[in-house]
Amino acid sequence: MRWIMVLLALWTARAAQRLSLTLGKGKGSSLPGMVALKIYPGILRWFAGQSRLGTVMVTGTNGKTTTNNMLAQIINSSGYKVLVNSEGANLITGVTTAFIRSANLWGKLDCDYAVLEVDEAAFPTVAARVHPDTVVVTNFFRDQLDRYGELDTTVGMVAQALNNLNGTKLVLNADDPLVAQLEQKSGLKAQYYGLDPGSETTHVGAETREAKFCPLCGALLNYKAYNYSQLGDFKCHGCGFERPQPHFRAHSMRQTGDLFQGEIDWQTRNFGLKIPARGVYNFYNALAAVSTAITFNVDPDTAAHALVSYAPAVGRMDRFDYQGKPVLLNLVKNPTGFNQALAALLNQDTLQDVLVAINDNAADGRDISWLWDVDFEVLEENQPRFNNFICTGKRAAEMAVRLKYAGVPAEKISIHNNTERAIDAAVSGGGKMTFLLATYTALWPVEAILAKKAKRVEGDAESMPSVS
Amino acid sequence: MLKVCHLYPDLLNLYGDRGNVLAFTRRCSWRHIPVQVYQANLGDKIDFENFDFLFIGGGSDREQTLLAADLSRQVDSLKRAIEDGLVVLAICGGYQLLGQYYQMPDGRKIPGLGILDLHTHSGSKRLIGNVAVEIELAGKKIKVTGFENHGGKTFLNGVAPLGQVLSGNGNNGTDHQEGARYKNAFCSYLHGPLLPKNPALTDHMISLALERKGMDSTIVPLDDSFEEEANGKMLERLGVRR
Ligand SMILES: [Zn+2]
Repeated sequence: MRWIMVLLALWTARAAQRLSLTLGKGKGSSLPGMVALKIYPGILRWFAGQSRLGTVMVTGTNGKTTTNNMLAQIINSSGYKVLVNSEGANLITGVTTAFIRSANLWGKLDCDYAVLEVDEAAFPTVAARVHPDTVVVTNFFRDQLDRYGELDTTVGMVAQALNNLNGTKLVLNADDPLVAQLEQKSGLKAQYYGLDPGSETTHVGAETREAKFCPLCGALLNYKAYNYSQLGDFKCHGCGFERPQPHFRAHSMRQTGDLFQGEIDWQTRNFGLKIPARGVYNFYNALAAVSTAITFNVDPDTAAHALVSYAPAVGRMDRFDYQGKPVLLNLVKNPTGFNQALAALLNQDTLQDVLVAINDNAADGRDISWLWDVDFEVLEENQPRFNNFICTGKRAAEMAVRLKYAGVPAEKISIHNNTERAIDAAVSGGGKMTFLLATYTALWPVEAILAKKAKRVEGDAESMPSVS
Repeated sequence: MLKVCHLYPDLLNLYGDRGNVLAFTRRCSWRHIPVQVYQANLGDKIDFENFDFLFIGGGSDREQTLLAADLSRQVDSLKRAIEDGLVVLAICGGYQLLGQYYQMPDGRKIPGLGILDLHTHSGSKRLIGNVAVEIELAGKKIKVTGFENHGGKTFLNGVAPLGQVLSGNGNNGTDHQEGARYKNAFCSYLHGPLLPKNPALTDHMISLALERKGMDSTIVPLDDSFEEEANGKMLERLGVRR
């Protein structure tokens, strides 16, 4: 009976997918899952139980897509068959779709590991059905406050969901107190990864720091050093909660051109990790992926080697060519991610035009006050690098106000309510390079218009941090 | 020199509230009025009467509790300063804190600082969304916009509201009042942040601060076209005439 339901759900979902492709509606990354779950809600459990060696869920605010893809690449290059959900399809429907696509006609999977990126808010429902063997948590930052309520609620939901699991292994970021508390809160065993704060990694982020309080007792946390935002070497003088000693300890980080590298100590071994990306943010993702793979008995050197050629997921940071001028498109969705995008702008030594597209639809977060938590003030002292700032989207004027109060001269700021005209102004400006930064629902329209005007450059998108 | 006190910026940094301090100081600097910001932290002894502008933002419940405990140590100084005409902007949690009490769902009352005659009840559902409010400043009516996100419902007893709600919920979603005003203390639920998007209000507060200090309080007009566009766009969306 169960099998019949599975087949019915699977075949209907496949038919729905074909139909949606013929009709040209959407990317079809959630529809098949949605249809299948309607017909047989148990289908996700049925699929997840079939991965031969284990199911992994990766969650957190930033870096889950990158970490998930890096982990899949490592496991894949170690000779295992891996199932992974496509980028951004990280709700229960997207996860189910990933299984539907990999299953054969009879609902059978041929996979060693299922590696699933899951949205924090969707985590409880997905975890309850998938019963993951391993859960990786990257970090928790403010994101779309008005949709999820305060950060505490999200973290509490994830902690509760973990608490309902049995025997699941955790891989946690030791440097984020909100993540590191999960071992105690869930009663599950954790392996920790962490980065020793050093001059190369320390970043000014005090303005948007998240956890100033001990998540366990509420006292103020003391920090010896920060890596960025609330990530660092913390200790609570109230209850003694402190940064756990990382099992995977990264240190001696340095940026050499487009390569970011560091050393990792694990048990008695030491190995190097090198990734073709800038900044400490991506290194965190790589460290999470390598650490998790090692817990699956992948050899450390093999794991590290698999990432030397890591190509970031498309869509988060796309590179285009407009009449010989590089144009870069990036998603911005919260203060931490936006600060990282600004760091990438400041990394460029040439004159730039910058377009910022801000929408306030439900998926973007209806409250855009988070723009005031972004450190736009760094732009003030770096004015010579910037030609013009072009603001567009539903909240274009508000973005212009933000830049003005950050100290950007008003004559460099303009508002274009028409997206196409805004993009024209940005790509044909006097700069040698153009950056386009857009919130979630503004990203796709901007990309669609840009793709008509400029040539997409494949496989060369790693010079900006991928932040989601 | 105008001295600005930003109360506990490390604790109360929800919803971009620091934008209010930024707007106040930038608009002073653009007019060459010397201004200095003092960031007060937990445990600091603050002589409120010595300041010209005080900003209190909002935080989550946990932060709010710590803040209340720390401020109640120096409530006398704060009260004297407000009675003396100190210019204050208190947003959301900071607004609630200046009142008599905050009543929890179980009926328990958490005492506030008791400086303003108002009180807050925890509500069953959060009041969230864009807001437009009409307020009167020195006899002139202006329309301000912002974004509210609060669980508490505030009721005014002996103080005047900051303004009348044109769209959105305001203090409690029932009496069409938004915020509170007592002498030169302005309270509001509007994040937005409030001051950058509503320059007339900011300039009014700067002018009051100059006046209290005995300095020339005439305000040179600035080019506010971005601010006006942001404000006007929101009024339009909310169906409110400019
Ligand atoms: Zn503690």
